Amino acid sequence: MTAATLERSAPPAQSEAPTPNARRNFSEELLKVEDISLSFGGVKALTNISFDIRKHEIRAIIGPNGAGKSSMLNVINGFYHPQVGTITYKGQARSQMRPHEAAKTGIARTFQNIALFKGMSTLDNIMTGRLLKMRRNFLWQALYWGPALKEELEHREKVEAIIDFLEIQAIRKTPVGRLPYGLQKRVELGRALAMDPELLLLDEPMAGMNVEEKEDMCRFILDVNDEFGTTIALIEHDMGVVMDISDRVVVLDYGRLLADGTPDEVRANQQVIDAYLGVSHD
Amino acid sequence: MLYREAGQFKTNYVADQAIFPIRQDRIGMAIVLLFAWVIIPAFGTDYFLEIIMINFLFFSLAAIGLNILTGYTGLISLGTGGFMAVGAVASYKLAVIFPDLNIILVFLLSGLIAAAVGIVFGLPSLRIKGFYLAVATLAAQFFLDWLFLRFDWFTNSSTAIEGVPKTLFGFLVTGPDASPFAKYYVALGFVTVFALIAKNLVRSAIGRAWMAIRDMDIAAEIIGIRPLPTKLLAFAISAFYSGVAGSLMLFLFYDSAEPDLFDINLSFKVLFMVIIGGLGSILGSFMGAAFIVMIPILLTLAPDLLGLPISSDLAKHLEFMIFGALIIFFLIVEPNGLARLWQITKEKLRLWPFPY
Amino acid sequence: MDGTAFEFFSIASGFLGGLFVDPFIAFVDRPDKLIQIVSQGLSAGIMYSLVALGFVVIFKASGVFNFAQGIMVVFAGLTVVSLIEIGVPAIFAILLAIVVMGAMAVAIERVVLRPLVNQPGIILFMATIGLAFFLEGFGQTIFGADPKPVPIDALGIPDDKFRVLGDFFRKPVRIYQLDLTALIAGGLMVAAIILFLNRTKIGRALRAVADDNQAALSVGIPLPFIWVVVWTLSGLVAIFAGVMWGAQSQAGFSLAVIALKALPVLILGGFTSVPGAILGGIIIGVTEKLAEFYWRGVLGDGVEQWIGYVIALIILLFRPQGLFGEKIIERV
Repeated sequence: MTAATLERSAPPAQSEAPTPNARRNFSEELLKVEDISLSFGGVKALTNISFDIRKHEIRAIIGPNGAGKSSMLNVINGFYHPQVGTITYKGQARSQMRPHEAAKTGIARTFQNIALFKGMSTLDNIMTGRLLKMRRNFLWQALYWGPALKEELEHREKVEAIIDFLEIQAIRKTPVGRLPYGLQKRVELGRALAMDPELLLLDEPMAGMNVEEKEDMCRFILDVNDEFGTTIALIEHDMGVVMDISDRVVVLDYGRLLADGTPDEVRANQQVIDAYLGVSHD
Repeated sequence: MLYREAGQFKTNYVADQAIFPIRQDRIGMAIVLLFAWVIIPAFGTDYFLEIIMINFLFFSLAAIGLNILTGYTGLISLGTGGFMAVGAVASYKLAVIFPDLNIILVFLLSGLIAAAVGIVFGLPSLRIKGFYLAVATLAAQFFLDWLFLRFDWFTNSSTAIEGVPKTLFGFLVTGPDASPFAKYYVALGFVTVFALIAKNLVRSAIGRAWMAIRDMDIAAEIIGIRPLPTKLLAFAISAFYSGVAGSLMLFLFYDSAEPDLFDINLSFKVLFMVIIGGLGSILGSFMGAAFIVMIPILLTLAPDLLGLPISSDLAKHLEFMIFGALIIFFLIVEPNGLARLWQITKEKLRLWPFPY
Repeated sequence: MDGTAFEFFSIASGFLGGLFVDPFIAFVDRPDKLIQIVSQGLSAGIMYSLVALGFVVIFKASGVFNFAQGIMVVFAGLTVVSLIEIGVPAIFAILLAIVVMGAMAVAIERVVLRPLVNQPGIILFMATIGLAFFLEGFGQTIFGADPKPVPIDALGIPDDKFRVLGDFFRKPVRIYQLDLTALIAGGLMVAAIILFLNRTKIGRALRAVADDNQAALSVGIPLPFIWVVVWTLSGLVAIFAGVMWGAQSQAGFSLAVIALKALPVLILGGFTSVPGAILGGIIIGVTEKLAEFYWRGVLGDGVEQWIGYVIALIILLFRPQGLFGEKIIERV
């Protein structure tokens, strides 16, 4: 976020001994955006953005406030429709898509400002993530018996596994509106995980958290990536976190692509340093 | 001491997903059902069964229907009266055109017709939200009011629609000559079954989808809920309940009614039941219906009991004032209604008599 | 078989003709009639506008969807009429009515709005439905349920009619002075309200409160005072609307139902637009009267009961924010 965090998170020792993540090999492309431009009225939010996300990697999108990071996620999951450009996901090119269609193809996300269903319990919130997988129609559900009950229980078991994974057993039946911020973020991650996503988009999963909560969240993200092999794209302001956990980083500034590469490459990039430190053009 | 769940452990998810997971609630429900099915009909007078219980039962059904739409899906509707009118008119026409049709089928088909009308008037909900939608549902109310008055095909060229006498298992259950006893059981049967169905719906996937739309429609869409079909299903089911309630109202309560009985004031009455009972609660729908049904009855009885006779005009005006004041009072004291008060009482009971 | 098919076609063509052809022929055939109907529509429309105006003032400044606006109009009108009936001079009757509406605003702020501050809009909306019921019962207890004629002479409202364009048509077109008064006075009122909202300090505070009442509170805007001002202002509009509307027919509680017609006007004009309320009212009023007169043949009597709503619905499908409302931008 600031120059200080950028530098603090870049001890020279780390670049000599690369993290295990950096040694992993990603070849298969999961998602590719090409020449994306998006504007609202006259305001240009994104200009000619191209990058790709490969299977099983953790891909960070960074940049100053207003750089277009959230807009980029909104484009990927179909909430915004770019005027120009194509998105290729799992080999299929598309220019427009509704959010629920994106969900069907395995894209899940969390939000910068938590978007949970405040009137429902933690359990119900995470259960909503299973909705797409539930096949019985409402007539069966009206009976709550036989196949409908069996289906309900199957999904309950999946959801309970997620609750165990995220260590939120104690708040299972609490309405999420009453939970503290950090736990709400965790429940939101749980809801996204319940969708069994192939691509998980996380919008500032650690904003407003204290160090301990951040460490927990990092652990969850790495575990999800490791255990389930989920591809993750995340927006984060904490450079220490970004440099630690991501495999490759995209840097946006004023809606343009500034740099794209491994954490080390990005850190060494002069343009990125200028954007973060500010530079006197002489 | 009495209401405590300590020691009741669930060892599987079936038990935890049960409709009443706590033993005391199950016992309570059994007692309520025993009263409704055995004790009330055994000891209740005709007046009690008809004026209070049947009245309460069909309003409960209408309130459950509106609660599905407004309380669970978050779509405000002022068109309940219109959908009830569709149900009433449809059941009258069906009963006249097909004299051999079973009365239960008449009611169910009327509900389905109301559901179809509900879907049509629910279509704008894709693009319209909140207050704008409330006004749009008024369009349904006024259009349907006009339709049934204007085209006398609906009323078979008479001024009123009538509850056609029908038998069920050999008993006369509808029409002016049927006994309150028989009518009561028909109403109770419908309400018991459809309350159970409503409860099942709101605690399964479709109910969660509705609540997701209510709490945050954008997030709901992003986790894969398609807004239009979900909202339309809520409209359809809500209108189905209202339609069946309208049929019951005509066949079991009024016997003969002019279509303008189902005007906008009826819509408001059901809305008040839902607010006072509790938005997003099936139990609340019953509580609200009981409350609103009892007020006018108490208002006509109370002055005589107190020895203060008041004119029927004044009683009518007082009823309006008391309704209005109660709505405001409830919204201020407990926006979540009687159902929430009941829940708070239960939470207190869990700790009683040692609250610390 | 052919006969049935022919019959079907003739009915269908008759229906479609009645819907899409005949009325337009009638427009051209009798332009004097058309102008007459339009002017009737204008006078009905301006009344809707006045009810909608009081509503917009409250919604704009406090975000409350005031369902009780219609009943407030009736209440205000009946207060003036009843005071004149018991011998109070007209000018004092109106001044007293202003005091009554002010007192009502204070009471509503104390009893309804203050305890419900920070509740979601839907809760406040339902509270105003409760308010509408209360005021209806209360008003009927005080004023009686029967409608009362408005003493037009005592109030000095002109009620003659002009006959114009007699040279052009078979019959002259009648224009009522009452309608003209309503139109001109209504226009002045709108201008005054717009000036008040945009050019005064209180007006700016009102708009701040409408935007975010927490933030407004934090910069020191006294919320209760603002609410009283807003509701009094809409009470003033209600007095005017009640008297003018009563002058057209009679002041009585049946007007409250007609006042619900102001709701499609709001949809058309947008909830926050003062000029929108006026224009929307006129569009709805004119369309209603035209539909009632020219489409009665195919659709039957009473089309005016719902046609306004249907127009509003159709507009909503294309412009969810109304004709003049601010564009809704969704973000996450």
